[in-house]
Amino acid sequence: MSDYTIIGKRMPRVDSRAKVMGKAKFTADLKLPGMLVGKIKRSPYAHARILNIDTSKAEALPGVKSVVTGKDTEGVKWGVFAYTRDQEFIQTQKVRYIGDEVAGVAAVDEETALKALDLIEVDYEELPPVFDPMEAMASQTELIHEEFPNNVNVHVNIDTGNVDENFEKAYYIREDTYVAPEESYFQAEPYAIVARFDHEDCLEVWCPNGGPHMKSKPLSNAFKIPLHKVKIKKITIGGAFGGRSEICPVDYICALLAKKTNKPVKIEFTREENTIATRQGHAMITTHKTGVDKDGKVLARETTCYMDGGAYSSTGPIATSVPFLSMEQVYRMESVRYNGYRIYTNKPIRGMIRTHGRGFACGLDTQLDMIADHLGIDPVEMRLRNCRKPGEYTSTKSYVDSCAMDETIHKAVEKSGWKEKWGKLPPFHGIGIGTNSVQTGFPMGIRGGSQSFIKFNEDGEATVMSGVVDNGQGNDNMLVQIAAEELGLLPEDIHLVSADTETTSSDPGSYSQVSTFVGGHAVQIAARNCKKKLFGVAAKVLKVKPDTLAAKNRLIFVKNDPEKSIPIKKVVRISLLNFTSVNAEGGYWPKVDMTREWVKNPYGQMCEAFSFGTTIVEVKVDPDTGQVEVLEVTAAQDVGYGLNPLVLEGQFEGALTMGGQGGMLTEYHEWKDGRCLNPTMLDYKLPLACDMPKINNIIVESIDPKGPYGAKEAGMSIAMSAAQGYSAAVSNAIGVYMDSFPLTPDKILTAIKKKKQQSEKK
Amino acid sequence: MEKIQITLDINNKPYDVRVYPNDTLLEVLRDELDLTGSKESCGEGVCGSCTVHMDGKPVRSCLTLALEAVGSKIKTVEGLASGEDLSDLQQSFIDHGAVQCGFCTPGMLMSADALLNVNPRPDEKTIRKALAGNICRCTGYAKIVEAVAHAGNPQDHCPDCKTGSKTVSKTKE
Amino acid sequence: MRLPRFDYLEPANLEETLDLLSTHRDDVKILAGGTDLLVRMKKGLLKPKKLISLKALDELSYIKEENGVIKIGSRTSLSDIIHSNLIQKKAEALFQACEKIGAVTIQHCRGTIGGNILQDNRCHHYNQSEFHRSGRQACHKDGGKICYARDEADRCNSTCQSDGATALMAIGANLTLAQKGGERTVDLDNFYTTDGIMPFAMESHELLKEIAIPIQGAKSAYKRLAYRSAIDYPIVCAGVLLKPSDTDKNKIADARIVVGAMGRAPLFLAKASSSLKGKNLTDKDAFKNAADISMNSAAPFAVHNVGATLEYRCDMVFEMVFQALEQAAIAVKK
Repeated sequence: MSDYTIIGKRMPRVDSRAKVMGKAKFTADLKLPGMLVGKIKRSPYAHARILNIDTSKAEALPGVKSVVTGKDTEGVKWGVFAYTRDQEFIQTQKVRYIGDEVAGVAAVDEETALKALDLIEVDYEELPPVFDPMEAMASQTELIHEEFPNNVNVHVNIDTGNVDENFEKAYYIREDTYVAPEESYFQAEPYAIVARFDHEDCLEVWCPNGGPHMKSKPLSNAFKIPLHKVKIKKITIGGAFGGRSEICPVDYICALLAKKTNKPVKIEFTREENTIATRQGHAMITTHKTGVDKDGKVLARETTCYMDGGAYSSTGPIATSVPFLSMEQVYRMESVRYNGYRIYTNKPIRGMIRTHGRGFACGLDTQLDMIADHLGIDPVEMRLRNCRKPGEYTSTKSYVDSCAMDETIHKAVEKSGWKEKWGKLPPFHGIGIGTNSVQTGFPMGIRGGSQSFIKFNEDGEATVMSGVVDNGQGNDNMLVQIAAEELGLLPEDIHLVSADTETTSSDPGSYSQVSTFVGGHAVQIAARNCKKKLFGVAAKVLKVKPDTLAAKNRLIFVKNDPEKSIPIKKVVRISLLNFTSVNAEGGYWPKVDMTREWVKNPYGQMCEAFSFGTTIVEVKVDPDTGQVEVLEVTAAQDVGYGLNPLVLEGQFEGALTMGGQGGMLTEYHEWKDGRCLNPTMLDYKLPLACDMPKINNIIVESIDPKGPYGAKEAGMSIAMSAAQGYSAAVSNAIGVYMDSFPLTPDKILTAIKKKKQQSEKK
Repeated sequence: MEKIQITLDINNKPYDVRVYPNDTLLEVLRDELDLTGSKESCGEGVCGSCTVHMDGKPVRSCLTLALEAVGSKIKTVEGLASGEDLSDLQQSFIDHGAVQCGFCTPGMLMSADALLNVNPRPDEKTIRKALAGNICRCTGYAKIVEAVAHAGNPQDHCPDCKTGSKTVSKTKE
Repeated sequence: MRLPRFDYLEPANLEETLDLLSTHRDDVKILAGGTDLLVRMKKGLLKPKKLISLKALDELSYIKEENGVIKIGSRTSLSDIIHSNLIQKKAEALFQACEKIGAVTIQHCRGTIGGNILQDNRCHHYNQSEFHRSGRQACHKDGGKICYARDEADRCNSTCQSDGATALMAIGANLTLAQKGGERTVDLDNFYTTDGIMPFAMESHELLKEIAIPIQGAKSAYKRLAYRSAIDYPIVCAGVLLKPSDTDKNKIADARIVVGAMGRAPLFLAKASSSLKGKNLTDKDAFKNAADISMNSAAPFAVHNVGATLEYRCDMVFEMVFQALEQAAIAVKK
């Protein structure tokens, strides 16, 4: 591996310079000639029928250029899947949560637009709302969507068979229920969008996105214009974490306002809108029943999960499956039965989020610890006995190729000093372990692959085109690194054109952990094809065979005789003089089972690679206040191959901060009658610099045979293993297994008190 | 309500601008003067993305009226570099991987810069406290803290400290 | 987020300020650091016609000791207070409280001590956007007749979450309120109404000019609990003062216990305070007893409206008071 010049190195990111200078343009920074300000009128009721909307006063207000309502949308419903099309872009019949879109306004300035919102008169007939998923399933009142009986939006059933028989054989069985409320993304950048129609009636859009092509197709459908006429443009993006993957009503409304006014329109979300009117993570109630043999090996598991999906489907079928998939990837189970129900409630819409189910994953690990405790097995040993090994199939029949799960456990155990600490720490001082896995992509039909084009310019620099989007995690740099490595250029010689639907090909998007594996792979192949052309020309000049050549530092040279070389720039010019341009394309399509479907057929090859990881956390709990001080976190992740350790470490640190420090200690939403009481950064408690512990990062490499350079996913799932590690550490510190997450001081204190009372009774 | 003509001293340059009394400094910087480096993330003084310096001290420009800034020396993220020459702090942020999505970065830099101006060699605890008013959702702060600690004080054992290896802006032939 | 419209006034000195206040009265609000006022205005909770900026009033920014009294100008920045030797040594509770307010970048030149004391009461049903507050009946503080924090409540139950106020009340501070042609002094103990809508006994034409803290040969301490260690309001806090006996340094001659973030105002707990009289400084049981009384006295005032569970906050009154007493006792013994 040491042959690489740029790959595998701690390379500072190419996008950093513009960002530290304040030059990087985010959507809200854009200013176009004649641009109007757009605002959204939202429902103040959780569930109500729309009787009438009168926009005449708003339209009459000087400075208001357009007011749009559901009438303008022709009632078209949208959904990620054909069977989940349940959301109108602007509601015409009913509103289903506080924040639902009922109208849009474009005006000359923000003040006028806000005034216009107040002048829109909407008559509602309030309907009984339902906020609790279990109540929603049993509800006798009006369904939230009449096509979905019992308010059940999605039911995923997975059954490998033999579950009941294996429970019969089990030596020990436990059944426990775990709960966790909703969580939010709180991307640093509040959602914003700019849209306009150009002189050729093409719709141009700038907005944060998890994949520009995921935005262009629904917009092309909605406006009934050809796909090429929807141009989603590249823009700097201030974070996504799974929350910006799909089209949102505001995208449509902004474009519609632009169309009606024939002017550019910008809509910036307030922090509150970003919280309640984009997406949130699902609240979950999960019951795990697990049967093990005498050695702690899992023979049978039955998991039932009720997920509060909020008002609309979003990525429902995916979100209902992924918590289970993470579990079945990381742990072997002889047999398993899963029933996941996503239930509609009159709350904000839930979608994909980095931590797929706190209650689910942390519950599972807690239960494993309880079983290990019962059997007298160390938690680390318990995991080693049950964790995934390479060359196996998951319960839903995905072949797992590269897998260094046990190595991540061993390395985290060593670095954290687990052996010296487990069972030996003083009271209220604890250590815990969490392990998790995530899939690198999933079957996405025609959008499952990525394609890249590379062209050489006459100055010897190269332009690389790719559909991969950078949400902030460093995808742009990843593409540049790969292209520079393969082409023998320096990173500054690579000009990246990416995430633009007009110029770049379709790509799966950057929300299913495939950016490197698929998009980076495509660039690698394109670059190799391009290099072949360069070598063909260079070989003639140097009078050697092309396969004796290598490229590095802007030179092509003979491998065994490096003195014999020619600058790449010269090769390009010679090629051009010989009537041949230097360019190439390359694409990568992961070989997955295209018949696999989330609900209808949840079996078959899910993706080509899985990443695995372990997080060990050490905490101290104040027994008087229940407050937790995190002393040290050690995260070890099998990333296949570390393309850029500097970037990887940043992913590890960010993931464990969001999933562990925030997700397991302080982050959750509070509600009153469907109103979110903490939609802002003051009230939703994100971790701060002064609250963070010491972090140890361990990059584990398994060199995936299919990933580019052996690389796969780069650390997202640490958000989950960290959540699990945090909860395990707190449980260990207080000597109580917790079943309600996150572990806030009040819950911890109550558990401590209860334990004390029980021991006093004895 | 009428606009008022004022002059703001920003990054050592006078800017004549007409503002409403209810215009915040952040709005004037971004909307009137095209200095869009300062960001609005929360709008209520919590996240620190809009942090600028007023007379050397970090302030939330989203909770400062433009009129209140008259007479003060204002410095924004655009004023950290000298032309294309980055400050040690900016360079350190790049070298240590302290920037991910970059939305909190300008505010983070301004808080850190204010700290380094009064305390050029802060310890880790001091840095974390000084940055407590700046929320970052991507990095977990570890690399930001390292970047601040090593800005202008490169450390031999640090794999990312590159003394004197400033990235120069790319010049096209 | 856009501020509503207002006219901006920038008086050159105190006299001009008081003139303006007396002319405009209810139409104006004083703008000091803006960290509380401007946020409320952005949320549409407050729409004053005019703002009077204290920007030019450097005369209200000072910390000095005069005749056994610490005097602090109301516009003094929290940062100046934190860095003052005098405050650190002789008004420990205030120092400890100011250190916890906001974050360094907020405290610096913007946050002022006057603004902190006069920050409005808060409630997570009230401190919300106009959108959040639409589609439901207005609460008491918002001009309506309903309380979302306590069922059937006939009045506003918003909570005073000022760190500074709790600490200052514990150390027996008084306030000088100036108005055109005169001024008055009021003990912090008497400064609060029991009205969550208008928590302060202060007229609209009055200006908080000075905070005075008597130096009493006592030691004080402040403890607070919040979710995170910065940019957070306390969910419960306690300020205490222990005055040793002149004859026996180990005996408590007088004590003051104030609990904050548990009701419409900081709560001076007379029974808990007097329970410590004559007790030994090393008497942990006495501290526990005082903390226990504090908890029982403060709990009925609190409602679930600032995050965390009510039960937890009530429990934590004991902890905060006990910890503050222990800390103050250590300071006395030094």
